[in-house]
Amino acid sequence: MKRWLISQSVDHPKRTIILSIIVTLIFASGFRFFKMEDDMLKLLPEDLESRITWDAVQEEFGNTNLMFVAFGNRGHSVFDPEVLSDLYTVSHELEGLVEVDEIISIATLNRIDSEEGFMEVSDLQPPGDLTREEADDIRRYLMENPEMMKRVVGDHGDYLNVVVRPVVNVASDKFRNNVVEVTQRILGAYDIHYGGEIYLTGTMPMLMREDVLKLMKLGLALMVLIMLLSMRSVPAVAMVLAVILMSMLAMMGFMGWMLRLTGNDIFYFTLLNTSMPIILLTIANSDGVHVMIKFFGKLRISGDVKESVFATMNSLMLPIFLTSLTTVVAFLSLAFAPIRQMLGYGITIGAGIVWAWLLSTTFLPAMMMKKKWNPASRAITKPSLLEIVTGKFGYLVIRHPKKVLLGGLVILGVGIWGLFLLRVEVNIITFFRPGTEIRDSLEFMDLEMTGTMDLELRLEGDLKSPQNLQKIVNIQAFLETHPAVNTSISIADVIKQMHRTVMDDDPAFDTIPDSREKVNNLFTLYSMSADPDDFSSLIDYDYKTGLVTTLMRNISTSDIVKFVNEIKSYLAENIDDHMSVTITGMLVIFNDLVHLLVRSSLMSIFLSIVLIAIIAAVSFKRMTWGLLAVIPLSGAVIMNFGLMGVFGIHLSHITAILSSIIIGVGVDFAIHYISQFKNMARHGIGKNELSQQVVREVGYPIVLDAASNMSFGVLLFSVFIPVMHIGGLMVFAMVSTSIGTLTLLAAVIEIFNGKLSNGR
Amino acid sequence: MKIHPFLKYVDLTIISVILAATSPAFGQTGYDVAKSVDERPEPADMKTDLTMILTNSKGQTRTSTLRLINVDGGKKQMLWFLSPADDKGVSFLKIEHDDQDDELRLWLPAFKKVRRISSNKKSEAFMGSDLSYEDMTNRELNENDYELLKEDEVVLNIPCFVIQTVPKPIAESEYSRHVTWIAMDGRYPVNEESYDHAGKLLKSKTFIFKKQNDYWIPTEIYVENIQKTHNTRLNFKNIHIDTGVDDDLFQEKNLKRLPIE
Repeated sequence: MKRWLISQSVDHPKRTIILSIIVTLIFASGFRFFKMEDDMLKLLPEDLESRITWDAVQEEFGNTNLMFVAFGNRGHSVFDPEVLSDLYTVSHELEGLVEVDEIISIATLNRIDSEEGFMEVSDLQPPGDLTREEADDIRRYLMENPEMMKRVVGDHGDYLNVVVRPVVNVASDKFRNNVVEVTQRILGAYDIHYGGEIYLTGTMPMLMREDVLKLMKLGLALMVLIMLLSMRSVPAVAMVLAVILMSMLAMMGFMGWMLRLTGNDIFYFTLLNTSMPIILLTIANSDGVHVMIKFFGKLRISGDVKESVFATMNSLMLPIFLTSLTTVVAFLSLAFAPIRQMLGYGITIGAGIVWAWLLSTTFLPAMMMKKKWNPASRAITKPSLLEIVTGKFGYLVIRHPKKVLLGGLVILGVGIWGLFLLRVEVNIITFFRPGTEIRDSLEFMDLEMTGTMDLELRLEGDLKSPQNLQKIVNIQAFLETHPAVNTSISIADVIKQMHRTVMDDDPAFDTIPDSREKVNNLFTLYSMSADPDDFSSLIDYDYKTGLVTTLMRNISTSDIVKFVNEIKSYLAENIDDHMSVTITGMLVIFNDLVHLLVRSSLMSIFLSIVLIAIIAAVSFKRMTWGLLAVIPLSGAVIMNFGLMGVFGIHLSHITAILSSIIIGVGVDFAIHYISQFKNMARHGIGKNELSQQVVREVGYPIVLDAASNMSFGVLLFSVFIPVMHIGGLMVFAMVSTSIGTLTLLAAVIEIFNGKLSNGR
Repeated sequence: MKIHPFLKYVDLTIISVILAATSPAFGQTGYDVAKSVDERPEPADMKTDLTMILTNSKGQTRTSTLRLINVDGGKKQMLWFLSPADDKGVSFLKIEHDDQDDELRLWLPAFKKVRRISSNKKSEAFMGSDLSYEDMTNRELNENDYELLKEDEVVLNIPCFVIQTVPKPIAESEYSRHVTWIAMDGRYPVNEESYDHAGKLLKSKTFIFKKQNDYWIPTEIYVENIQKTHNTRLNFKNIHIDTGVDDDLFQEKNLKRLPIE
């Protein structure tokens, strides 16, 4: 099989090239079925416990994932007929969007007036143009109802708040885009700010993809530059680049074909897939670089192209196959991830890796055969600077293996210590750098409006019972003692307001009535005066399930967890069996999700390491090689998470999943090293020179591979912090696994050189 | 626009646009049909017990029973809640005035207070049902345009006229138009579809009438809000008409006691 594959490239290069291009184009033609999905909420596992509660809340009360739009002009009162008229227009136009369930603003709220035994429920803001007196009357009413005012007007009275409640199961990106379009069209004369979890989740994927694409082009250019400087041959770099681009085209097309053939939404290109092209790029680059460097080395010795290509492929066929196989296995382990889309990710990138392997072992050597190389060129005859430096570095390592091993173990110890410092952060606001427009907007909403975070408490019990309603009042009072909470809303607020109204607007009756009959009378009174459907986001049809919505400013995930625990303690002490309370909200779900992701990522990494060890042990026919093959990878995993802890990089749902993926890329170097070691030992190189020769042979391609892939460190310049983390992790994975191979693995092998080389 | 009492509503029904006539239909216009419905004879007073069942999109229901009395074609109306237990004792008085706002009063037994209420929102649901105040209001003949769409179309085994009613701006209606099936024989509504201002179907209504003492009296009304997927079913029992109800009954003090059956 090996010889047949090599002979296809060596003996029939033209046919191999044409065939490779045709098959790539067939794969790539699936690109027309390729579909993007920017709705991040679809990524949340449906069987997550907090998600189940959240879904139940949505089913009962409508979507609780709110978007906030604040507009106004600094220093100008919003109680101006013209401003209120614009508010009326924008509120009612937003209400007309199919993605919108409800608008909460001055223009949609009801007022309840009481005078001399007369009760009237009417629009807070009458339709049509307002007079100055009407605008003043609205202001007066809100001043008398400060809790209501807090929800719809900013602290300084110069910004209005429009709360937009989406319909259930809305696509967050479409919802966000339509709301932004309407508000920007109508409110062009005002300063506008947006906030809310759904706004961020609807905004981020598109912006992040654009950002990654821009930086990826820069990274690719940098990669080409590094390769050119090191290989000093344009055709050689072009050939590697051709393998990379063809692999990418085939992979994206494959994703389209899979979607077309299976119809499964795991093959949608989501936010998580953003990292996929970068990862394939590094893998395809790795295969190409190793082939090309080995070829130059062989050509330097023999001077014969055909012989050199044959020798190169004969030497690299197994390691490239093994590195591809182990990487595919690592990615397929994503099938165990709690996010279903990760299986689609694993399958798609697996297909890309297989195609990159096939192209590197057929198309690339065929191209090398077709090129008329000049054996006297500097690129072939003279080692590059990087090659010389790597050789010297390898020599030092081999001379002092125990010291190197000890140093490595100390660094590993730091990594293990860092593991205990690792913190989780799922608040999406932290995904944006301070000073960016979105971050500024969110901070404005926090400072001057009700904030942009929400936490929900689902209540079950007899909600017409005054005792239970009083408990809700107490819960809200407790929630509002937290410095981050601006206000909370529940049916108890409405009952208190109606009670006061019925009792001739006497503030002493701004309380829960003392009998169930009175509570019921109030509901009936409202139903005769207005639409009881007004309460649908607060209480269910049977008055047995209610919702407390807490509006708060942004706080960190660890503070949220602390707050949730405080609420739980309060509930345990103060709520009896007559009512049950469940805490939910998007932040609680994300927090649960991250813990689930970390557990599944660790399991996935552990499984990958075991499988890779088995594959290496079987391929190299010895258990010891299997164990040695995973040394750099295991060290890199520990160092990755450990250094994240040391440098304060938080684990989020994005970084948790990407960490395991990027580490999967780093398995290749150890396999190349071991394969070369065994190969040289088999060819009778003495044990005194063996390690040095191996480092000299594979050290340079490993370092060049890592260095060129590190060009994706440009992602560190992204405005999105998770993208910065991808860049940082990419650099880190390359450094840790390449250095780990050339230090830890090389030192261990050198220490046990005698036994290992004898046992060939 | 006058708000009809609930019983009037029952009597004349929602669309009571439209009350009866007896003449044959040939050569009639939409307006003629609407006028004949408007002129349909009606009893001087009526007493009935009403069951109202509300059903939401999840199939959850709320059931109330009420006693209704009205006179003067429904211009004066009283309504007492009999069940559920939570609502028992709550009562409602409505008196229509031609030259001033209608009086709406509610007795809240738990507070021992009568509260006057107002709804200036015609489209608001009445008592959480799918009937808005506008649905319960006589459609003034001159505030709408009528068109006869079909004659002799059979619905629920009843030959019907089909007329389209388009409210004029003066009506300030929540609807853009109605399509109503009117029984050719009794000139009472059998079916109606009402559309919102976006032209989308908003409500669908079905009526069952029976003849009692020479009057066509509704015994069941079913209203479905298509957009909210919520419906209301009204069943009328123990219907007594022309019993000589005293006009003095319709006073605030009488809200506090439930009339004996």
